[in-house]
Formats: sequence, structure tokens, C-alpha cells
Amino acid sequence: MITFWSSIREEFRRTYIKLFHDSWPAWLAGIFLAILALMIFLWDNMWGITGGFRNWGDNVFYMLGIYSEQPEKPWLSNMSVSNLGLLLGAFGVALMAGQFKIRTSSWYEHLKGLVGGALMGIGAAFAAGCNIGGFYNAIGMFSMGGYAMMIGLGIGAYIGLRILIWEMMNIPQQSLPQMHSTEMPGKPFINWSRIAPYAGGLVLLSIPAAFYLYAVSDRVVLGGLLFFGALIGITMQRARLCFARAFREPFMTGNADMVRVIALSLIIYGMGSAVIKFNWLQPEMAGVYHPFWFGSLLGGIIFGIGMLLAGGCGTGSLWRAGEGHVKLIIAVVSFALFNSLGFAALERFGIREKLGSGVFMPDVFGWPFALMLYGLVALGWALWAIWNEKTEKFVIF
Amino acid sequence: MDIATINVDKTLDTSGLSCPMPLLRTKKALKEMSAGQVLKIIGTDPGSKKDIPEYGNKDGNEFLGMQDVDNGSTLYFIKKG
Repeated sequence: MITFWSSIREEFRRTYIKLFHDSWPAWLAGIFLAILALMIFLWDNMWGITGGFRNWGDNVFYMLGIYSEQPEKPWLSNMSVSNLGLLLGAFGVALMAGQFKIRTSSWYEHLKGLVGGALMGIGAAFAAGCNIGGFYNAIGMFSMGGYAMMIGLGIGAYIGLRILIWEMMNIPQQSLPQMHSTEMPGKPFINWSRIAPYAGGLVLLSIPAAFYLYAVSDRVVLGGLLFFGALIGITMQRARLCFARAFREPFMTGNADMVRVIALSLIIYGMGSAVIKFNWLQPEMAGVYHPFWFGSLLGGIIFGIGMLLAGGCGTGSLWRAGEGHVKLIIAVVSFALFNSLGFAALERFGIREKLGSGVFMPDVFGWPFALMLYGLVALGWALWAIWNEKTEKFVIF
Repeated sequence: MDIATINVDKTLDTSGLSCPMPLLRTKKALKEMSAGQVLKIIGTDPGSKKDIPEYGNKDGNEFLGMQDVDNGSTLYFIKKG
């Protein structure tokens, strides 16, 4: 009997270490991401990040009296709720892994977070989505704008990296502000590192509890979005899944790992989405609204520069904010405010219609050729990155 | 290899910097060093725990090891190849 319980305890301990201490393999996270994005698509609609950020920005400007129309409350807006889930999931799991810490940086790095967030917000307004809504999901939904943004993100990452290299060569590194310790000598009153995993467990348990509360308030869809968003946050934080890395590394170190992961994830996502759309489980044009090609391309370039300066993309900023990075918290706030302003400006000046419109790939090529092209682009991207990893032909520093 | 016994030729402090700056500065520092010299990197970004060991074994370099220290920083050691 003792052996039975001790073996259960040992198995529990091992599983806990695998889930919450060791990093998850990135390829596994890529597969999980595709499955979770498909679940959100079946549950409600296309998964997105920017719409949630914009809702937060809209609410701030409404409270300041700048906007006259009242936006949906953040806890009732679909994309905002999945963003909150992502943030909570990353926060909870970072606490459990002992990786949550308020990480400050120099004023200069914080300024880069602010500018990077602003550029991401404006870029996402042009492209009608960030690296998720405008690229990953757009491609997964067979919206041609996703490919234009992919090219834009590549160009933007290249320009952003050039800026960072110039900065490194010309601007001296700013030192961290001197922190005055407020700790009393002797043993600390509260040992935070021992408490953190329990606090993380409570945060994670609050997510199904919130799902239940949404369900009993007749808002089960929102509850599901919070839940799936949290699973995405957990997955991305544990594997440090980073879209910015996929676009940056081929130019910086040549490392092709993240390109492989995103390409694999896209192939799985596309297969699932094709099944769903072909069988009309969701409308064919669901998630096909990206301004092909100009808006997506221009937005991608601006967004790509921003994500390099901020050190995280739409999702990367959010899960890193959940880990306590002040620079990325600033980037998220700046993204939300500038996306709201950028979106409002594009509407007000009638620019949106001139940027392009949603084009559904199978409408242009037919389903068989669209599927073939879809697979070839993802495979071609991965093969290019692997070739570049070996030859470093595109590495600029 | 015992990290405490490594003779360090150059130290790079990336405290407070976040992805990708620690890796970019590591790359620059290694470019300025001669073969056989050892670079010690001080970092606070959790992403570096994955990035620096991976990069440390590229281009003929050798990643010698890493160590967490009490103030929350991590020390990394790379031998230039």
C-alpha cells in the first residue's frame, strides 16, 4: 500500500516537473497552438488578439471623454476575454514555474517598449490584425492578406534588426536604475519563492471557475474564450513560443527552429480550417477580411519594426507581460492605445477602403490548387530557413 | 566542467535587457574575441536561458555552462572557437 501511494506521489512529482518546471518542446507547442486556434474557430470565430487590445484602448479613450460611443466592456468583448485568458494563463504558469518576477529595465528599454508597442498598434490597424489575426490566422483562414503580411513582417523584421544593430554600435548601453533594498536584515518574513507555485495554482484554478461563472450568466461563449485563451497562454509561456523570433532569427543568427515550428503549426491549422470551411461548419468567408494586399503589406512592415523594438509581437508581448516584464507591459498598453487611435483614424479619413479587401484563396485558385499552394508556401518557408541556417546567406550580423 | 574554475577573458553584462539584445550583444562580443578566449555573460532575461546555450555551440564556439546566482541573474560561459 505504501509503495502504491509513494509511486503515485512520485509520478505526480515527475509530471509536475515536466509540465511546470522543464520547458516544453517548441514543436509540441506549435501543434497545440494550431489545435487551440481551431477549437476557438469552432467554438466562436477566428481567434484574434488585436481586437481585444483595441477594445482596451477604446475603453480608455471613452473614459477620458475622447470617444463618444461606449465600447463593449473588456470582460464582455470576445477578443478581450481571450486576451485576458492568455495573460492569466501565462501569469499563473509563470508563477508555478518560479519564473514570474517584476523585471524592470533602463528608461531607454522602456522607451523602446513604448515606441515598439505604438508601431505594432499602428501596423495592426493597417493590416487589420497582428502576427496572429493578420498573419497566422489570416493564412489559416485562407485569406490572401496573410501572405502579404508575412512578406511585410519579414521586411519589417529586417529593418528592425538593422535599427537594433545600429543602436548597439552607436548608443551606449543604459545601466539599470539602482534599486534601494527595502528588505530587513535577517530571514525574510514571507518566502515568496515558496508561495509562488501555490499562488500560480490558484490563478490557474480561477480560470475554470470564471468559465463556470460566465456559463451560469448565460455567457458560455465568453467563458470558453477565456479558457482557450488561458491554454494558449500556458502553451506559449512554457515553450517560449515567439513569432518575432521566427521572422528575426533568419537574419540574426540563422536559427531556423521557430520557422519550422510556425510552418508546422500553419500546416495543421490549414488542414483543420479547410475541413471546417469546406463542410460549412463555419462560413467560408469567416476570418477573410484582411486588406489584400497593400494594407497587409504596409501593416506588416510597420508591425515587424515594432515587434523588434519591443522584443515581442502581439502574443509574445502578452505572455511576457504575464511573466512580469515591465517593458512588455508598456508595449501592451502602447499597442492598445495606438491601435485604437490608428483604427479610428483609418475609419475617419476613409483610408481603410483604399488599403485593399479580403480575398479568399479558394475563390482565386479553387480548393485543390489553394490547398497545394498553402502547403508549398509553408514548406518553402521552412526549407528556405533551414538552407539559410546552414549557409547564413541572409544573416546580416 | 566546473564553472567556478573557468578563467574568464571578457565579461558582458546584459542585465535588464530583453530579447533579442542579450543574444545580439553576445554575438558582437564573441566577434571581438580571439579563438580560445572565454566570454562570461550576465543576464536577467529568462529567454536567454534557451537562446544563449543554443547559440553558444554555433560557429565553432563551445558553450561551457550556466549558473543561476542569488540576485536572480544567470551567468553563461562561452569559449570562442
